[in-house]
Amino acid sequence: MYEVRFHGRGGQGAVMAAQTLAEAAVLEGYHAQAFPYFGAERRGAPVKAFARIDKSRITLKSQIYNPDMLVLLDETLPEIEPVAEGLKPEGVAVVNTAMAPEEYDLGISVVTTTVDATTIAFEKLKAPIVNTAILGAMAKAQDFVSLDSIVKAIQDKFGERLGPRAANLNSDAARVAYQSARTGRCKAVRPILQKPQWLPDWDQMPIGVTLPITQVEGVVIGPGSAWQNLVGTWRTSSPNYDINKCIRCLRCWWSCPEGTIKRQEDDHMKFDYRYCKGCGICAQICPVSAIDMVWGVKSW
Amino acid sequence: MSETKDISTMTIKDVPNKDYFLWGHGACPGCGVAIAVKNIMKLLGPETIVYVPASCLVVFGAQYPTSAFEVPYLYTAFENTAAVATGIRSAMKRRGKKAYVVGLAGDGGTFDIGLQALSGAADRNEDIIYVCLDNEAYMNTGIQMSGATPFGAWTTTSPAGKMISGKRRHKKDIDHIVAAHGIPYQATLSIAHWNDFVRKVEKAKQVDGFRFLHVLTPCVPGWRSQASKSMEIARLAVETGMWTLYEAEKGESSLTYKPKKMEPVIEYLKLQGRFAFMNEEDVNTLQRWLCHKWWLHYKDEVEAPPCYIYRAEKPLHMDGDPLHGA
Repeated sequence: MYEVRFHGRGGQGAVMAAQTLAEAAVLEGYHAQAFPYFGAERRGAPVKAFARIDKSRITLKSQIYNPDMLVLLDETLPEIEPVAEGLKPEGVAVVNTAMAPEEYDLGISVVTTTVDATTIAFEKLKAPIVNTAILGAMAKAQDFVSLDSIVKAIQDKFGERLGPRAANLNSDAARVAYQSARTGRCKAVRPILQKPQWLPDWDQMPIGVTLPITQVEGVVIGPGSAWQNLVGTWRTSSPNYDINKCIRCLRCWWSCPEGTIKRQEDDHMKFDYRYCKGCGICAQICPVSAIDMVWGVKSW
Repeated sequence: MSETKDISTMTIKDVPNKDYFLWGHGACPGCGVAIAVKNIMKLLGPETIVYVPASCLVVFGAQYPTSAFEVPYLYTAFENTAAVATGIRSAMKRRGKKAYVVGLAGDGGTFDIGLQALSGAADRNEDIIYVCLDNEAYMNTGIQMSGATPFGAWTTTSPAGKMISGKRRHKKDIDHIVAAHGIPYQATLSIAHWNDFVRKVEKAKQVDGFRFLHVLTPCVPGWRSQASKSMEIARLAVETGMWTLYEAEKGESSLTYKPKKMEPVIEYLKLQGRFAFMNEEDVNTLQRWLCHKWWLHYKDEVEAPPCYIYRAEKPLHMDGDPLHGA
């Protein structure tokens, strides 16, 4: 059995990628399954998708904990998720990054295929939907599902949902990615992130009162403890604030859904980029254009 | 509860700096609900107990065992916002403690599923603040139609087909349903009219009894809009007549904001992908319905809308065009 785990962000198309890979494997005569997993978070948040491929019928229904192939649709995911956890030492990784495989630090040293899928997606699709480009690179990273089958699966799947023009553009993205993908062995400098998980049992919970703010096994729980969730990694563009242009109207402060814009004593603003999701409302609402949205995860 | 302030002159500058709905929650970028809740919590302050029924807010606001609310917070089932808030109120009374008990429900939990508990609590005039965060569909479960969904809007349960596209009935007028209970204070709010928003929440704080605040909160994935346009869409909703800002104290209703003139509804529709399938006839039907509604609200005080002929006092027909109305 060959197992593939996809890590992406909501909106990048990880789920469609897993389904398309499974369809391509079926075209090759294999049995396959594909399914997503997402938690409570929303668009931009880390998501997982899985695909299983086997010669015989697959009865296993669990998530994939020890994948043969790891696919990262976003190169920053190792900073916020334990993505490399459980990857088999002889397994392979496919990463969307402009870096060469030898430069990329996954936290575990495996054979890695890298492709700049974001650039390809912008060139071909005019949108950061990287799933078809990454599928092209995946065709290079293993040898039992061919590029032809993947392109055929893209034609079927995307053609049915989005029309023949979108299907052709997505097929082109896969072909270009197949050509430009590079294979090597990645670095293992950073430790694999350990995410503390603590869920209290019923007998640990206080009865008849609100759970107070408490620290348990390194995790803060209870009222207001959401601050540990650094959602600023979701953003693709960042607000740049020009204090000299600011007229202190407080509109951005009011309109920020995250509360990342802090009101100072003199009614000027200060940005906490750790929590900025880059929605751009502040730049839109500013009457004097004192806030610019700049492409990339930046802070000033 | 606190010293009496002059509410009528309050502005955005009077909003306290301290947050009680903290950063790190998991809402989509550009979420209208997050903007509304953040500011409501700032205005209500620390002496608040929050109840949230099943909704996006319960999912992104509090992921067990963490929570973005820095105040006591409770969550049980979908339909009992007003009932649970009543229970919290009674417990507080019994213990001799003072706090604002606030229920933050979505439009599904207010218009459809929570309506009976809402009606019961309003009828008993329970001393709670009920906030309806209206994003015009069941967004948490993946965009299903609710009673709040406007005419012509695409949802997964009012899909765009060959014969008809989008919802075929107009938005349910929940404010009139609540008004029929004769509660002490109710108001409609928009996140893009901040001074008005501040005054209404402050007013709700000073009134005793059942208070109903209805906030329009744009939803980026559900309305198929751009994240940066949430405030612009909320503003245009008021300017086009899709949303009206008013309040009612003990049955006396008064407009709190009058647009200078009526904008064509197409300005509002074209920012949102959920209306992309509407044909010209449907847009005109919606426009005529809005003109009718506009006249009922603003009468001759605001510049004449383009379809001024529908100035009859007859009730709004929910099935479409006021011309073919009841």
